[in-house]
Amino acid sequence: MLEIQHVSKSFFRNLALDDISLRIEAGEIFGLLGPNGAGKTTLIRIINRIIEPDNGYVRINGDLMTQHHQSMIGYLPEERGLYRTMTVEDHALFLGQLRGLSKRDVKMQLEYWLEKFDIADWRKKRIEELSKGMAQKVQFICTVLHEPKLLILDEPLSGFDPVNVELIKQELVEMKAKGKTIILSTHNMKSVEEICDRAALIHQSKKIMEGRISEIQEARKTGEFAIKFRGSMIAFVTALWTSFELTDKEILGDDKFIARVKMRGDNSFEDLLTALIGQVKIEAAWEVLPSMQDVFIDMVNPRKEANNA
Amino acid sequence: MRNSWLIARRELNERIGARSFLLFSIFGPLIILLAAYFLFAYGGEGKQRWNVLISDPTGIMDAKILANDDKSITYSFVNDYIELEEFRDAKQFQPFDAMIEINEKVLSNKTAFIFFREKPSVRMQTRLQFHIERRLEEVMVAEFTNLSVSAFRKIKQPLNIAFRNAYDPLDEASDLRAWVGFFFGTVIFLFIFLFGMTILRSVTLEKSNRIIEVLLASVRPNQLMAGKIIGIGIAAFIQFAIWIIIIGFGLFFLRETLFPDLMDAANMNVAQMTEEVKQQTNDYFFVNKEYNEFVDLVYERVQFGTMTAYFLLFFVVGYLFYGAFFAAIGATSGSESDGQQFILPIIFILCFALYAGYFALENPDSSLAVFFHYFPFTSPVVVMVKLSQGYTPGQGYQLFLSLFILVLSAIFVLLIAGRLYKNGILQYGHRIKLSLMLKWLKKM
Repeated sequence: MLEIQHVSKSFFRNLALDDISLRIEAGEIFGLLGPNGAGKTTLIRIINRIIEPDNGYVRINGDLMTQHHQSMIGYLPEERGLYRTMTVEDHALFLGQLRGLSKRDVKMQLEYWLEKFDIADWRKKRIEELSKGMAQKVQFICTVLHEPKLLILDEPLSGFDPVNVELIKQELVEMKAKGKTIILSTHNMKSVEEICDRAALIHQSKKIMEGRISEIQEARKTGEFAIKFRGSMIAFVTALWTSFELTDKEILGDDKFIARVKMRGDNSFEDLLTALIGQVKIEAAWEVLPSMQDVFIDMVNPRKEANNA
Repeated sequence: MRNSWLIARRELNERIGARSFLLFSIFGPLIILLAAYFLFAYGGEGKQRWNVLISDPTGIMDAKILANDDKSITYSFVNDYIELEEFRDAKQFQPFDAMIEINEKVLSNKTAFIFFREKPSVRMQTRLQFHIERRLEEVMVAEFTNLSVSAFRKIKQPLNIAFRNAYDPLDEASDLRAWVGFFFGTVIFLFIFLFGMTILRSVTLEKSNRIIEVLLASVRPNQLMAGKIIGIGIAAFIQFAIWIIIIGFGLFFLRETLFPDLMDAANMNVAQMTEEVKQQTNDYFFVNKEYNEFVDLVYERVQFGTMTAYFLLFFVVGYLFYGAFFAAIGATSGSESDGQQFILPIIFILCFALYAGYFALENPDSSLAVFFHYFPFTSPVVVMVKLSQGYTPGQGYQLFLSLFILVLSAIFVLLIAGRLYKNGILQYGHRIKLSLMLKWLKKM
């Protein structure tokens, strides 16, 4: 769907992007991650043809990106705004027509989305009458009105309450099911884990990681397992003896715990279960994968970089 | 093009929908009409009675000037030379408002000087000139011909026309009508400034609320800038049209209702009177207090059709020229307050342009006035002044040359502004240095 090849961009001696190459497949949700100032917004602007790269190119469906392709994209920037004095409907008409829709199509689409979000009575409201979260919804609707094949969403969940966060996430998943491609730039790592198929991490203008979410987590696992059990913690620790190491524990109730355990020597997960059976009542056991939050911090933590140096 | 039009339409709707647009559309022309009303009602008044000393050392006029007394001028004669300083400072001359010097060469060079303490109104100037001319005619007829004065005047009629400027039958070229041009020029600059500021505010607003990023994902920066300038320009044009309609109807209303006597064309149109009628109505015409130069000016002497046509033309191109500056300033300023700082030089230039108009009014033939006439920053107002003064035959090309220069300049400025706009529009929150702007321009 989208191919970014060797894209570099600098702003008067400040290198914003350094030889970035990415490939985003059709029908996937792709997480674009990175700390503030890493270059994500610059990359997104290049994809949207708002700015031009110094080097490299962007292809969409095999073609070099041109202005003609812009109507295939729906872009919700992080720094987004609306004209405060315009009504919701006028806004949709203006932005929808800019994206190539006819007036009639905009009205039909707007009808659909307002019904879907159960906000049909907002149509004639002026933007200044809406709360921040309500305005965010209008922005989201204006972004998807023209049914773009590629959606680029920069922090789409910020400003929403938890109910609406779930609503938008659900919407993204539905769009993916309809074959849309979505680039999601966010600092909300939980949502990356939940809805992204793949992700790339940009740090200090360079791409430092790319892959499937599960593979990224798999690659960084530490061999830690979690055991949810009933019984005595003393009995549990005694059973571990010297073959396993208790790294963490969470008390769920008087005799209910989740314990985190690491293997020592050549001991395996089966050995752990064998040691515990009969000592405590195991309710669940699973391998602990690092969260994307941990992966993110691990990869961009400046202290870690200093230590490595 | 479609995108630019969509942007323009949005801007237009927003401007027209604003309450300030409606208020300015209605109250702007009403204020002007109110000013016109006061000028009509009181503008003809001034110093009602003039005491004039005629210095006639060789006794050419023989201490005579009028057969009957004039109610508003008292003439006194001195058969001696009076130095200007003496007239100005000597105690015995203080009661006189003006001194007319009739030297011995007057019959050959036909030049007389009038020194005044306080500038006479146009009406008074006309009257003084008229009196002197008629008396000198009598002297000249006696001196150089065998005709009676009345016989001379019968045959003088066609000659009289030849003596005067065909473009300015009242021979009052200049001042008052030039002020009309200055007024038109000032209105152009008022609109350019008001709507230029609207462009600036609109650009900085889109920058500060960050909708610019959404827009730029659909339209090129140049399309956006063009749409914005066009949309706001159309709003200005509509407002103009409303002004013209309201002022037009207002003047008609004043003419038909409040000042029907004043507006009686028979009283006013001196140029169309025969000498005989003029003579018969002379006293009434001059003595009639209700004669008002502003009424005469507004209803008889300003060619509104021509003025309005060129006015709109110079407004449109002048607006594009200045509008591009405002758009570029908006795009390159980090915040709205930054933009206000950048606006100071533009305000200075606009004020300078108004001054240039005033300068051209006072010194129409100076080389600096000629320069201002072609200089794109000042030409919209100076051309209006010049247009109202009247281009002399064969010089009409000057107007089109000035317009041509303005059009080329507008295109050039739009190109530069487009480059600054494109580079500056996504720079948030920090002031853009001049050196950076120059780098952008070098990339052209």
